[in-house]
Formats: sequence, structure tokens, C-alpha cells
Amino acid sequence: MLLNLKRFLYGPRSHFLAFLLCALILPSIAVVFVAVAGMVNQERAMEAAVSSYVQDLAESTAYHLGTDMNLNLRNFSWLSDSSLRYPFFSWGPSIPGWIALIDNNGRVIVASPGAMNIAALWRNDLPVGRAVKIEDKQGLQYTLAVYPVRSDSRAGYVIAAVSWTTLLGNLVIVSTIWPVLIVVMAMGSFLAIRLLWTRLILPLKAIATEIDDLRLGRDLPRQFDDYSVKEIESVHRALFRFSQAAIERDNLRNKYVRDIVQAQERERMDMAREIHDGPLQDVTALLQQIHMTLEDDVNSENVRIKRTEKIARSVVRELRALCDELAPPWMDLGLIEALTELAERLSQTYDVQVSADFDEDDVHGLQVDNEITLSLLRIVQEAVSNAVRHGDASEVHVQLRRESENLVLEISDNGTGFDSENTNHETLRLEGHRGLASMTERMALIGGKFRIESSLGNGTRITCVFRV
Amino acid sequence: MAIKILLADDHPLTRAGIAEFLKREKSFELVAEADDGKIAWELIQSLKPDVALLDIRMPELDGVSVALKARNMGLTTAIIMLTSYDAQQYVIASLRAGAKGFVLKTVSPKELTNAINTVAKGGLYLDPEVASTIAEDDFMPEQLSAREREVLLLAAKGLSSKEVAKRLFISERTVQTHLASIYDKLGSRNKTEALLLALKYGVVTLEELLEDDD
Repeated sequence: MLLNLKRFLYGPRSHFLAFLLCALILPSIAVVFVAVAGMVNQERAMEAAVSSYVQDLAESTAYHLGTDMNLNLRNFSWLSDSSLRYPFFSWGPSIPGWIALIDNNGRVIVASPGAMNIAALWRNDLPVGRAVKIEDKQGLQYTLAVYPVRSDSRAGYVIAAVSWTTLLGNLVIVSTIWPVLIVVMAMGSFLAIRLLWTRLILPLKAIATEIDDLRLGRDLPRQFDDYSVKEIESVHRALFRFSQAAIERDNLRNKYVRDIVQAQERERMDMAREIHDGPLQDVTALLQQIHMTLEDDVNSENVRIKRTEKIARSVVRELRALCDELAPPWMDLGLIEALTELAERLSQTYDVQVSADFDEDDVHGLQVDNEITLSLLRIVQEAVSNAVRHGDASEVHVQLRRESENLVLEISDNGTGFDSENTNHETLRLEGHRGLASMTERMALIGGKFRIESSLGNGTRITCVFRV
Repeated sequence: MAIKILLADDHPLTRAGIAEFLKREKSFELVAEADDGKIAWELIQSLKPDVALLDIRMPELDGVSVALKARNMGLTTAIIMLTSYDAQQYVIASLRAGAKGFVLKTVSPKELTNAINTVAKGGLYLDPEVASTIAEDDFMPEQLSAREREVLLLAAKGLSSKEVAKRLFISERTVQTHLASIYDKLGSRNKTEALLLALKYGVVTLEELLEDDD
């Protein structure tokens, strides 16, 4: 109940403009109808009043004249002296109009002022004793009544007339102006609603679309067009500031993540070096001592020493593996060698075919920073791991080629692939799958671009483009 | 006559261990020790040892660079890389730089003696840990065809399958078939390993590998 009332008071939520248009136009139409009806009724009432007035005036004047005529025979000269008895012959009737006495040939015997064009009005077919509405040659309207002075009609006729134009002049003007005003008002409403549409609703819709399409943190809103009202413009400006802030925030976050990754990589490299130069060498030295001890005592079956040798060997292998994990020392050899080594190691780790293929011309004399090499190694590692674990791939192909000033690293597999169009890195990251996000971050770290293309059943292709 | 040996390793403990062993061996004469690449290079030039044992990762100058300098100078010193790392690319890089041997620091004294004696006689020695076949120990590779040797040598020079195919006027697919057959015959799992095994079994020679064809 309350909700309905509220809805009624606040207007509908959709089709707002149609509602507004109806709210403006319907009352206007109602006003026009009522006004027209009122005017028609008023005109009818006036007509009835005027008709009976002229009829009465003509009748009573004809009666008086008839009586007087009986006394004064056929002479009308007395009329000029009896102005007191017939004052309207000199002044006219009390409402705008005139009265005249004519003979039966239509000649005017006596008439009040303003009855000059009586001849133009006079027609032989005018009904007698009944008021009629006629129009003269100038288009002026009259209601007039004709009454014979005496029943034999030879004595002439009295004509009483009221001019509509004079009587209702203002009213007629108002009644014609009314519809015009209403039409103007309706047009005004249309115009207002059109403006509302173009300057308010359309810009609002545009802003809504803009917000929908806006990739927050990456895009800025389009340039503002100046057709909308100031308020919309300020909304747009606020949106602009908002997206700008989002971009700044994202940049800051990316920079932060990049810093973290960079610091992490440096630390790993340092740690790998520490292990290589420290524990790995120490255990190697230990192993040499064991070897020599064993050699000194060739004949003895020192089981404990032999076991120690085995342990030391396995520690060496573990330390090497740890170094490889952190930052393989062999990446110092160069990008091509490092990628080849990694591909061969990954082939063995996952028991799949990982081939690394490079065109001599493309990579001849290539000099790449350790930082870039390490980033690319990590990407290949992640890509192969994903291809095998998620894509069930049996072949992975690593390719490095030159494209103008850029190097392009391409990793393609023959796995099951996934729907890359509908996969959001951010969502995956939040779900704990750091792989794609970390590959993207690593490429960003070395100022390169990372792209992943895949579709179900067609394997996956990763492309890294970077400058050297 | 004892084999004159130079030992370069920046890590004191491992250097001491190897030095101790070399000193005990009657047929070896340890003429100098160095703890960085630069000193090693100077000593090689002045002492002209028969064999130089070089660590790969060293301050100032790495072992591979020292080997390359020695090769470019035409020195007769046979170089053995002595490293903590089993990366096959290290082996390839060392051999390209002119090294004749590659052993891991964890090698047994017997193997090291073997390595020094082999290279001193002009042979090639690769640590079993970096060039071992996946097949049995007494494995002997099947003979490679002439075309397979060509493919292997070109691939070993770093050419892609596409480039090898272009060079030999065959299809890329044929190159891959050849490679698969080579791997199978040598008992290797990849290109680098195939090359190392081919060198080890004498299927191809180091000279063929280092030969510049352009």
C-alpha cells in the first residue's frame, strides 16, 4: 500500500520521460476540452439571450408603432417628435446593435445609428417574427429579428439586430487564442522533454555504458561532449578523476609487485651464489677427503666411510638442485645455452619432449642481461609445468626469434589448452593460481609484453616480446 | 716424465683437496696453483704446463675464457674443466672454448688420474656424470649413417632444425627423423647429450665440432 503510494508520488522508475510527457500533455488536452465546451455553452446561452432580446425588442417596438400608427394614419412624421417614446431610434438599443423601421420595399424610414448597412442585410426571404443569425458582406455577424408593424404588413417592418462582433469581440479573440496557446504549450513540453532526453537522459546512458566498458585501472573515459548539462559534466569529471586515481593506484601496485619480484629474484641469485661458493664447495672438499681416505686404505672394508661418501654425494646433488631452483649458475653461459639446458632438464623432469630451437641468424652474438635470462627461464619453467600438469601435453616447443628490434620467445604445446578468452588472470591469482600472473609480472619486470593464447583442444601458445 | 699440472680454483678447501691428491700421485707434478682466472692465465703463459685444471666460476676471469685465450694463442696446454656443475651446456661451452676434458669436482681420484692421463696424450675426457648413456654400462653405439653424422654436426653447431634442413636440402621433418634415429642409436635423450655421447664414443671428433664451416 505504502509502496504503491510512494511509487505514485515519485513517479515510475522506467519510462520516466513518457510519464513526464503524459503528465504535461494530458492536463493540457483536458483544459482545451473543458474550455471549448465552456465556450460553446456560453455562446449558446448568449445566442439564446440575444435572440430573445432582439425578438422582444422588435416585437414590442412593432406593437407600439402599430398602435401609434392607428392614431396618426399613414404618416411617420410624428416619429421625429416622439423620440422620448422611442429613444432607441436615436441612441440605439442598450446592448451593441441597432433597430430600424423599414417599409415593405426595404427602404429605411427611421433607424438608430449604426444601422447604415441595413440595405445590404435586407433580404426578402428573412423569416418574420423569429430571430436569425446572418452575416453581412464584410463577414460581420448579426442576430436579427423582423416584426411587421401591423398584421397587414403594408405599414412596414421593425428590424432589431445585435452585432456579434461588437458584443462578443473580445470573447471571440480569446476563444481563438486559447487553442493556439495550448498548442504552443504542448510544443513547449515536447521541446522540454526533448532537451531532457538529449541533454540528460542520453548523456546519463552514455556514462552508464562508459562505466560498463571501462577497464578500471587501465582506461580513461572518452573525451566529454558538450551537449549535456553541467551536472552531467561534473559527474563525468568525477568519473574521469576516479578512473585516473584507479590507474595511478594500479600503477603503484604494479610497481610495488615489480619491486617485490625484483628484490626476490636478486635475493635468490645471491642465495644461489652463496650456496654454490659455500656449502657446495665445502661438501665437495669433504668428498675429496673421503675419497683420499678410502684410497689410503684400499684393503679395508670401511663401510661407514663408504656410506659417508654416498651421503656427501647426495648432499652435493641436493645443493646443485637447490641452486638450480634459486638461480641456476649455468645461466651465465648466455640466453640460448641457458634455454637449451633448461629445455633438456625439463624434458627429463617431466618425461616429455621439450625442444628448444633457435635460428642461428636470429640469435648470433646475442647479449642478454642475467636478469632477463632469469625471467625468461622462469617463464619457460612455468609454461612447461602448466602444459604438462594442466594441459597433459607431450610436446613443448620453445622458440626464440628476432622481430625487428625485439626478441620474441614463443612457447607452444600440444596439450588440451583452455579457454583463454574467458580466463581472467586476476581471478586465477585470487584463487591461488599464481602461474599466469607471475609470468605476466616477470615480463613486465623486464619491460616486455606477455600474451597467452589458447582454446580447448588446440594447445596453448605463450608469446613474450621484449627488447634487448 | 711427470705431467706438469696447473690447478686453478678460487675455493681454498676444494683446491687444497685436489692439490693434495695431485702431489701424492707420482706421475703428476703440480707446478702452480691459482685462486682466480687472471693469475691462472698468467701462470699458463709463463709455465706452459701440460695440463691445466680450471674451475669454471672464478673471480676476474672464468675458466671458459681462459681456455679460449689458450686456444687462440695456440698453446699446447691441455685444459680440463673442473667444476661443481653438471650442466651439459657447460660441457659444450668448454669444448667449444678448446677444453679437452670436463670433470666434476666430486670425481673420484681414479677418474681424475684417468682424465689427466687421457688429455695429456691428446685425448678427450668427459665425466661419466655429464655424458652417460641411459642404456647399459657396456653399451656400444650403433654406427651412424653419413647423413646422420652431418645432421648431428650441424645441429651441434647450434643450427635449428629448419636451418639444418635448408643446409642439407631436405625437409624439416626428415631432419627430425634423423635426430630421433641418432638419439636412439646413441642412447641419448636430447641433442646436447647426443653430441656428448658421440664425442665420447668417437662417432664425431672434437675437431669436426669446432670446425668453422663459414
